[in-house]
Amino acid sequence: MSSFSAPSAGGRRNLYVPQPCPHLADYRSNAHGLAKPFRSLQPCLRVRPLGRPEIRRDPHEIPRCGPCSAADGGGGGMGPRLYACLACAAVCCPAHAPAHAEECRPGHEIAVDVDRAELFCCACGDQVYDREFDKAVVLAQIAAAAANASASCSLPESLRKRRRVDYRPWTPDPREWATMRRESSPLLLLDASDPFSTGAANTSTSSPPPSPGLRGLNNLGNTCFMNSVLQALLHTPPLRNYFLSDRHNRFECQQKGRRKKDGSGDSTGGHRWNPSGGSPVCLACDLDAIYSAVFSGDRTPYSPAKFLYRWWQYASKLASYEQQDAHEFFISMLDGIHENVEQDQHKPQSQGNGDCCIAHRVFSGVLRSDVTCTICGFTSTTYDPCLDISLDLDSNQNYMNVPTTKSHACNGANDFILSSQICGVSTLMGCLERFTRPERLDSDQKFFCQHCKVRQESLKQMSIRKLPLVTCFHIKRFAHSSIKKMSRKVDRYLQFPFSLDMAPYLSSSVLRSRFGNRIFAFDGDDSDAAIELASEFELFAVITHSGTIEAGHYVTYLRLSSQWYKCDDAWITHVSENIVRDSQAYMLFYVQKTLYYKASEDVSAS
Amino acid sequence: MSASDDGNSSPRSQFASHCFEDLLDSIIVDVASECHRIARLGLDRNLEEEEEELRLSVQARVADPSSSSEVNSKNVVDVFGQTHPAIAAEILKCMNCRQPVVAGRFAPHLEKCMGKGRKARKVTRSTVARSSHPRGSPISVYAPYSNATSTNRAPNGTSGRAGEEYADYTYGEQ
Repeated sequence: MSSFSAPSAGGRRNLYVPQPCPHLADYRSNAHGLAKPFRSLQPCLRVRPLGRPEIRRDPHEIPRCGPCSAADGGGGGMGPRLYACLACAAVCCPAHAPAHAEECRPGHEIAVDVDRAELFCCACGDQVYDREFDKAVVLAQIAAAAANASASCSLPESLRKRRRVDYRPWTPDPREWATMRRESSPLLLLDASDPFSTGAANTSTSSPPPSPGLRGLNNLGNTCFMNSVLQALLHTPPLRNYFLSDRHNRFECQQKGRRKKDGSGDSTGGHRWNPSGGSPVCLACDLDAIYSAVFSGDRTPYSPAKFLYRWWQYASKLASYEQQDAHEFFISMLDGIHENVEQDQHKPQSQGNGDCCIAHRVFSGVLRSDVTCTICGFTSTTYDPCLDISLDLDSNQNYMNVPTTKSHACNGANDFILSSQICGVSTLMGCLERFTRPERLDSDQKFFCQHCKVRQESLKQMSIRKLPLVTCFHIKRFAHSSIKKMSRKVDRYLQFPFSLDMAPYLSSSVLRSRFGNRIFAFDGDDSDAAIELASEFELFAVITHSGTIEAGHYVTYLRLSSQWYKCDDAWITHVSENIVRDSQAYMLFYVQKTLYYKASEDVSAS
Repeated sequence: MSASDDGNSSPRSQFASHCFEDLLDSIIVDVASECHRIARLGLDRNLEEEEEELRLSVQARVADPSSSSEVNSKNVVDVFGQTHPAIAAEILKCMNCRQPVVAGRFAPHLEKCMGKGRKARKVTRSTVARSSHPRGSPISVYAPYSNATSTNRAPNGTSGRAGEEYADYTYGEQ
C-alpha cells in the first residue's frame, strides 16, 4: 500500500513519543541505543518510490517463517505478517514469534515487521515505537525519493522563523494619556437614558446591548456585494484593531501624499494622484474613514458612497452599476490597500511574511504545492502566497442522497463523520481534505521530472505552509463555463464548524503523513509545535448569497461578543446560532484563537 | 479464476479465495498498523469536537427551515429600534459632479457621472500609470484577480501633470 494513502492524521498536538515497554527499554540500554542493530538493518531497508519501506536482506528475497515456512501472502497460517528478530534476524510468523522470544530471552523480544518496517514487541504482543528507528527509516525514504536530485526548493527567506517573544502589554505614559483625553471623545456607549440600550428590537429577552461599531450600510444600488464584505472587514479583529489604533491616519496620509505630488513630478507618487485633482487616492484612507464613521456611535445607516467612488477609481474594470462578485471585490480591496501602502516604502515586499501592508499581515498565508513523479519519487515543491483559500464544492455524485434527518439514526461514535458523507452533506472539512489530498494529474498534464528527464505521470498535493491570522474561505458557488459562455450557481448546502482546527491541513502534517507518521523533524519545520498551537480558529463572519447569479443578494452574519447579528445592508438584526449554521455560506472568515508575537525585524515596522 | 465454476470446492477457486483473503488481511493490517501509530503518537484528530459541530448543524437545519430568515427582512425593526425604507433615502453629494443624489440611487448615478461601465470613455490617470508597474506573482492563487487591465493600453508618454484634460482613448471596452 502506498504511503500516500495513509489515514489522515491530525497533528493537533506535538508528536508524542510514548514510553518504551520494558523490553524495548532493556534492549535499548543493552545495545546502547538501537543505533548498532539499525546500522546492520539499514542496508536491508528497501524503499520503492511512493511505496512503503520494507526489510529485505536481498531485494528478491521472499521471507519465510523459520519454524513453519509460512511466507507472505501464501499458504495459510496467520497470514502475511512476518517479524525479523532484531537480535538474531530470525524470521517468524505471528504464531511462532512469541515462542522465539520466550526461548531465546532475554534480548530477543523486539522484532521488526518486515513488510511495514514497524517495531514489534513479541513479549507484549504490541507495536512499539522508537525515535532512532524511525529516523533511520525516514532517512532511507528520503534518500530513495531524492536519489541524486537536489530535491525541493529550500524554504524562501520570508518564511524563516523569527524568534517568538512574549507579549508586552502597552500602557500609555502620562503625556499620551493627556493627549488622549484632549483629542478624543468617548464612544457613545449605552447608558440608561439611551433609548437604544434597552435592545428594543425583536429579540429574545435579555440580549446584551449591541457593541459599538455595529452599524448598517445603505445599499447604493446593487452594492450589497460591497456592503457584505465591508461588514466582515470592519469586524475582522486584527484589521479593526489596526485602524482603531490609528495606525493608518488618513489625515497624515493625505498630507504626505499631497506633499509628494507637489514636491516631485516623478512617478512614485503617480499612482495615487487623483485625476480629478483632489486628494491622493488611498483605499486604506477611505477604509479608515469608514471605521471612524461606523464606530462613532451614530447608529443610523452609513452610506459608503465615497468608498464606492474611490474603489471605482481604483478598479475601473469592475466599475459598473451591476451586481458584482463579493469575493472579487474582497481581493480587489486588499489589493488596493497593498498597492497604496507599498508605494510608501519604495520597495516591493515579499507578500508571504505579511510585512508589506496590513492587508497581507492579516490575510496572507502561504500554500505549498508538491508535485511528485510516480516513477522515481522525485518531488518538486513550490510556495505561493495566498490571500484566501478557494474551495470547490463536491459534486453530488460522490454521495448517496439521503435526507439529512436520517443522520440521527446512524449515530455510533465514530460513524458520525462517515455518516455525514453517506447522508450527502458537504462539509468545510471535507472540502479541505479534498484540497490537501494527493491528486493524480491527468496523463495530458504530465510533469517534467528533473530526475527522470522525461515527462511522467505525477501526483500533486497541496498543503498550507503558513496560516494567516485570519483565514478567508471562498466557496466556489459560481461555476463559469467559458465554453458555454454562461454561469450557474451551486446552491448545495455546506456544513461549516464554528470552531476549526487547521492542523491536519498544514504542510507539516501532510508531509509527516506522507512519510508514514514517523517520529522525525522534517525540513525546516523544527518548531512544529509553534505552528500547530496556532492552528485553532474560530468563526466570526459569514457572507451568504441567496438567489441566482443575475438576481441575488449578499448578507453578512457577524459574531460580536458571542452574539450573532445579521447585517443585511441597512438592517441589523439579532439572529440565533441556528440560523447562521443553516445559512448558505459563500465566504467564511475564521480568526486565530491565540495570537503569538514575533520579534520584529524592523523596529519601525508596525 | 476459471470460467468453469464447479462450486467453491475446486482447488483453483480455493486458492483464489486464499489469495483474496490474504490480500484483504494485509490491507486490514496495514490500516490497523497505521492507525495504531497515529493513536499512540497522539496524532489523531479530535473527533468529538468535529462530531459535535456536525450534530449542531444537523440540529440547526431541522430547527430552522431555511426560508424563514429571508422573509420580510426589510420590514423589520433593527437592533437599534429603527426602521428603514427599501431604498435608502439619505441625500448625498456626488463627489464627481457635486449634485445631490439619493443614496439608494447613488451607484447608477455615479456610473453615468464617471463615465464607467458600459460606456467607458475616459481613461483615468491611475489606471494608465498602473499599467507600467505590472505586478509579479499572483496574490491570490485561486482567484487570479487581474488588475492589469491595461495590457492593451499604451502608457501615457507625457510626464505627470500636463493639465486636467485627457485624450479620449476608446479601447473598445464595452
